[in-house]
Amino acid sequence: MSSESTQRAVGDALKGFEREITQDRVNAYAEASGDHNPIHLDESYASSTQFGTRIAHGMLSLALVTEMLATEFPSTWHAGGKIKVRFSAPVFPGETVVTYGEITAIDESEDKLTATCTIGCKKTDGTDAVVGRATVPLE
Amino acid sequence: MVTPLISTATVGHEFGPYDVTIEAERASAYADAVGGGESPDYGDSLAPIMVVAAALTMLIEDLGLFSGGLQTVHAGQEVSWVRQINIGEQVEATGRLAANSIRRGNHFATVAVTYRDSSGTEVGTSSTTIIVSGEAS
Repeated sequence: MSSESTQRAVGDALKGFEREITQDRVNAYAEASGDHNPIHLDESYASSTQFGTRIAHGMLSLALVTEMLATEFPSTWHAGGKIKVRFSAPVFPGETVVTYGEITAIDESEDKLTATCTIGCKKTDGTDAVVGRATVPLE
Repeated sequence: MVTPLISTATVGHEFGPYDVTIEAERASAYADAVGGGESPDYGDSLAPIMVVAAALTMLIEDLGLFSGGLQTVHAGQEVSWVRQINIGEQVEATGRLAANSIRRGNHFATVAVTYRDSSGTEVGTSSTTIIVSGEAS
């Protein structure tokens, strides 16, 4: 068995991290994704929307959550990992988010172990930005 | 004003194929956007979510969601991945409108996407749910 399977147990917390979502990060994400929607980049335009100001790409927040999974499960996350999330609240440039996760189940099927985890990221005021679940092979 | 596709597309409508090959420059921009001291070392490979994001941008454009007056909320996302993808590796994405309903004047749409490598082998799937408002429909 790999170290990823032998060292895991239900209730284990995943090692989250904190990241400030600066406008520079949003701009870089626009370049990476090709998503130059002005709601992310143009304050003048964004001020006329329901949000009243620029917002970060939801996928940027989700990318942070998957960074946590890639770090926790480096040999299996990219080969058999699954996530399902909802975006609960917009993240505004200048806000900080904290990723989190916890293993809620470990199932065995056909001699293979799979961990199910609650995952997400919150703003520092406790507001959920991304909430969901991941399943990751453990070997 | 051109009617956005989101207004007329029916379930089963197909999108793409899109070339979502990610070159080094975009991978570097992704690292600038997301990276930090805790980030994993991807080496020559990519975070799968980046490939999904590239396809999503093209889908949004094809759906006409960059049209003036529309406001789009990314409500949900599913991703599953079969194997690692390398920087510069050819990946093609094809989408299918899996749901498209109107509630209280807002469109709720789900697009399912399949990702294949140059041999045609599936390397991942995703499903995106969006809510679109601001449209007379």
